[in-house]
Amino acid sequence: MEHSLFLKPKELFIDVVNPRDYVQIDSVSHMYQNLKTSVQKPLKMILLYGRPGTGKSMLLHKLHHDLSKHQKVFMVDIPIIDEDDFLRVLAQKIYGYVNREAITLTYFLELASAVNYPQTPIVLLDEAQLYSSALMEKIRLISDARALKFVITLHKTDDEDIIAKEHFQTRIWESIELQNATPDELKIYIQKKLLKSNCFDVANMINDKNIKIISKLTKGNYRNANKLMFSLFSLYAWFEEHNPRKINYNALKPKYIEMAAIHTGLIRA
Amino acid sequence: MLDIPSLERRWLKYKIKRSLPYIALVIAILMIPSIIIISLKTNNNAVPPQTDKKIIQKKVQPMPTPINEAPMVLEPSMQFVQSLPLSTSATTVSSPSALKTSTKIATSQKSIPSLTTLPSSQTKQMTTSLPVIAPIIQPSSTNKPSTINRDTAAFDIHEIEERFKNNSNPHLGLYIARYHYDHGNYSEAYNYALKTNAINNTIEESWLIFAKSLIKLGKTDQAKKTLQLYISQSNSDSARSLLESLEKGDSK
Repeated sequence: MEHSLFLKPKELFIDVVNPRDYVQIDSVSHMYQNLKTSVQKPLKMILLYGRPGTGKSMLLHKLHHDLSKHQKVFMVDIPIIDEDDFLRVLAQKIYGYVNREAITLTYFLELASAVNYPQTPIVLLDEAQLYSSALMEKIRLISDARALKFVITLHKTDDEDIIAKEHFQTRIWESIELQNATPDELKIYIQKKLLKSNCFDVANMINDKNIKIISKLTKGNYRNANKLMFSLFSLYAWFEEHNPRKINYNALKPKYIEMAAIHTGLIRA
Repeated sequence: MLDIPSLERRWLKYKIKRSLPYIALVIAILMIPSIIIISLKTNNNAVPPQTDKKIIQKKVQPMPTPINEAPMVLEPSMQFVQSLPLSTSATTVSSPSALKTSTKIATSQKSIPSLTTLPSSQTKQMTTSLPVIAPIIQPSSTNKPSTINRDTAAFDIHEIEERFKNNSNPHLGLYIARYHYDHGNYSEAYNYALKTNAINNTIEESWLIFAKSLIKLGKTDQAKKTLQLYISQSNSDSARSLLESLEKGDSK
């Protein structure tokens, strides 16, 4: 079991957002460059939106990872729903103001004007659809005062058009939409992830037919693809231990991909 | 931890469920030609009875025409009689008297056999039975019956006899003599054959009818003499054979 061929690949696809696991895909890479350029512009607010599993959080984490080397960046990956807490946490993380008591917006803006940064600090807000309208209004006022620059990510659903939302309609200067991966992009993503960790044998097992099935099952959703690959390599690890004759090392078995999809809930059976 | 046997079972179920539409499609594709073939076969089997019906109809259709052509057929009047019970029973069910009339008609209809099935010799019986029907028909029918119940054959022979009296055509005389002989009126046959021979003494059949009528009337000697006379004049084989049979005593 310790020398299993599939254990390492399995761990690679654990669904954790880690900027070091960021895989460069042409289209995503292009968007990331756009995002980096936009951040350097004197924009008040940048919107990053797309369907769930399109890599918004990963891109935000990557941005945080890259920008934090040069300027003050604060990443809020778990939304702070309470308004007082939100301002207090921002004041502490960006301006170093430690106070357990709640602070007002006016006091926060005074703090911002008191602390002079060479570049406007950037706040990255993940899952911004969870913030209340009142808090979003305060965020708007802070950005209008040019105290902070915000990059926010939002889910785009079929029911609502995020861009049309009242909060963002007049204030967003840049919006970037992330798309689901195409089969080719998914293939690059999976193989690059495997090759990055020297899993050459397993990477060679994945052919175009396998990718077609995976893409069809996951609909280009990176998160679902991660889940599926994790289950698939778990399954292969089990067969490797209990019944190695059933493993074809030249290609992934469509049957096992479908079994993994049943296990992850992508197929209802 | 993965439960692989359970997963395999679920996968098998999934594959079966997923392939069901394709299986159904394949079955449908296979079934459609066979259904078409079967339906075509059944249609082919179903066609001959239709043609048979047509043939039967075609066979049946010519039937009325010979009836119309025959002078003895009284079919129109019989159809009229047959149609009466239906109309009366349909309109006067609540009336007991009408019911009686309808039943009478029904019974009288039963007593009258279809003319189409009757031989020509029975037509006289029908003419006698028709007056029995007439009183029942008259009250219920508003239209006068257009049929004329008559012995057309008798009427025609009288007409021919009249014509023969007027123009003395030997062929008419021969026809009348033959008619009477066939109908057993041997004295009439004798008279007309005699008249015909008087007009034209070369008609063999007229001489033969004359002789045979004499035989039937019991005048065998006279018949022999007549035949001998005719044989001497015409050398007729038919007359000779009749004479021979008469002499042998087996004349008909």
